[in-house]
Amino acid sequence: MIVGKQKPFEQIWDMVKAYGSILVFGCNTCVAVCHEGGNKEAQILGSLLRLKAKQEGVTIEIQDGGIERQCEHEYFKSVAEDIRKADAVLSMACGAGVQFLGEKFPEKTVLPALNTTFIGVVDAPGVFSERCMMCGDCILHLTGGICPIIRCSKSLMNGPCGGSNKGSCEINSEVPCAWQLIYDRLEGQGRLDLLDAQIPVKNWSHSRDGGPRKQVREDMKTGNETAAGKAA
Amino acid sequence: MTQEGVATAEEIVNIERPQETLPSGWEPNILAFACHYCAFAAADLAGVMRLSYPTTVKIIRLPCTGKLDPYYVLRALEGGVDGVFAAG
Repeated sequence: MIVGKQKPFEQIWDMVKAYGSILVFGCNTCVAVCHEGGNKEAQILGSLLRLKAKQEGVTIEIQDGGIERQCEHEYFKSVAEDIRKADAVLSMACGAGVQFLGEKFPEKTVLPALNTTFIGVVDAPGVFSERCMMCGDCILHLTGGICPIIRCSKSLMNGPCGGSNKGSCEINSEVPCAWQLIYDRLEGQGRLDLLDAQIPVKNWSHSRDGGPRKQVREDMKTGNETAAGKAA
Repeated sequence: MTQEGVATAEEIVNIERPQETLPSGWEPNILAFACHYCAFAAADLAGVMRLSYPTTVKIIRLPCTGKLDPYYVLRALEGGVDGVFAAG
């Protein structure tokens, strides 16, 4: 899932204080799992902003709401009126959701309440860590299911560097060496032979280096794209 | 301050003291969230024992204080209570 983190409260306040009415708008899928941008967090942030406005003597009408996902058309139908009524929308979605909302309501100012941090997993309640950087050319079948692109600090493709020390990375002893993890995993599976395979130089054109990416399933297309979607 | 960044006990008391002079007889409005199984039962027992507490304290019974959502506290403060008391 996509993990995000709320911006510092003072920064959010500075963004919203000039508007007459604000809709604090949650996104109840990915960023709800990390307890930063869901509809519940929108309620809480809305309440904190109302208290702050009262404290500062500023008159702002602050409503809160949210939908399941701000990155899909269908969920917006029931809230279009609420969005139109507000001077600005403080979106608690990831960067994709914030932009999609802006594309759907181009006349509306959309403000980001979160910093989108990474695609990751829930290690334990309240603990999230990065696992994938969307390189677009997965090699997990060669590396025991552990990604050296994102887990190795140098994204090395064919074994560890000289900084691997007792299973830790040289950047920080708390960070495991990805290639140590890969070796241990493959050894446990009896598949150390996979390490003999030389992974060729990576083709980064499938990653961000090829510009913004787009994918189309022709059999599923029904039109109804946003203007930005059509232009891409 | 005696040490850099460490407040003395006197300073802490001054921080906690309200800045404005309060009118005499003023009592804070307190909203108490009480767990059904312990604190609320204790409040009930207090009633049976004819013990009293200020009328400015209002109690909301929860099935457990684990049910106490941060939003309930914020809504109470937005609504104008002076303090929230969680008991469980």
